[in-house]
Amino acid sequence: MVQLNLPENSKVKKGKYFKDKTGSKNIKNVNVYRWDPSSGENPRVDTYEVDIDNCPSKVLDVLNKIKNEIDPTLAYRRSCAHGVCGSCAMNIDGKNGLACTTPHAEIDGDLNIYPLPHLKVKRDLIGDLDGLYKQYESIEPWLKATSKSETTEIYQSKDDRAKLDGAYECIMCACCSTSCPSYWWNGDKYLGPAVLLQAYRWIVDSRDEERKARLKKVADELKLYRCHTILNCTSACPKGLNPAKAIAEIKKMLATANV
Amino acid sequence: MENNNPLSPHLQVYRWHISSLVSISHRITGIINFVAFIFICIWVFMLLLGEANYSSIEFLLSSMIGKFIILSLTWSFSFQILSEIRHLIMDMGYGFELRTTRISGLLVIFGSIFLTIIIFIIGKNLF
Repeated sequence: MVQLNLPENSKVKKGKYFKDKTGSKNIKNVNVYRWDPSSGENPRVDTYEVDIDNCPSKVLDVLNKIKNEIDPTLAYRRSCAHGVCGSCAMNIDGKNGLACTTPHAEIDGDLNIYPLPHLKVKRDLIGDLDGLYKQYESIEPWLKATSKSETTEIYQSKDDRAKLDGAYECIMCACCSTSCPSYWWNGDKYLGPAVLLQAYRWIVDSRDEERKARLKKVADELKLYRCHTILNCTSACPKGLNPAKAIAEIKKMLATANV
Repeated sequence: MENNNPLSPHLQVYRWHISSLVSISHRITGIINFVAFIFICIWVFMLLLGEANYSSIEFLLSSMIGKFIILSLTWSFSFQILSEIRHLIMDMGYGFELRTTRISGLLVIFGSIFLTIIIFIIGKNLF
């Protein structure tokens, strides 16, 4: 049965309040989910008053400012800061996205920042994505072309190449998978939008010779058909991709016996 | 070793979108309709047992609560039909652009209310 509430040890408590010390007139309250593994306490939400006048435009800049100037204990993942690496994926104002590409000016009122939903928290805004990476591995995301010699070039027409558009751009930030209620309730079996989009990417690749095997592998009540077109994935994707459509295409390939 | 780390908030923090709202309503109305069908079957079965049963149910359904139930069920069936059509179109691979999903979701929500009113008017013989 689906557990809608958070377990007892995950209930979020009210945390500390960090008052602004700069005397700025333009203050934004930033509520950040915190959990310290060494404390043995429940997670809490700390509130920081951030001087927005002296802060660059993105949510990641707000977090950097907090870490550099207010509270160095805050932990979060980030790397490229340009929406390419997918490290800073988090739940911003109730929607998953990349902190580095989301402008904080677009969010009215308080800025609420949580880790990606329904993951085991490692610390603060860092969620445990091991399960997702294992599932990614399970679809074998590499080219399988056994009949041709490895030294021969495999040609691909422009039309066939175009089939990969909208699938290869995925940066595996997990915004989509962790936005999906189906993935929340069945994340151990259902592959989730991110992995299924990648499965699709290899199924439609004209150079790959294991199309049938790939389709057969993914055709499973739990792995694939737990997608109920809720479409949280598509609306969360920071790269503007459409995992829901990719999943629908896989379902269609299986339904039309085009295997 | 069991992982005793806390679970990050999900339903508690995730904002509702039109498509997620329509999707969950589709499920809920589906369950309601399933139960409703059972009661309709019982009702039909009771007709076989005589007139007295029929009039007692008629009495129940013409009360305020009965009318509310009938109206709610009309909406729930309307919603289910329209939402199902939306899902069928999606199963064919169309209508996945974000804008389209929003429009089709709104069409389902307002369409179901509209359909309920139409069915109500037809039922009342107001045409």
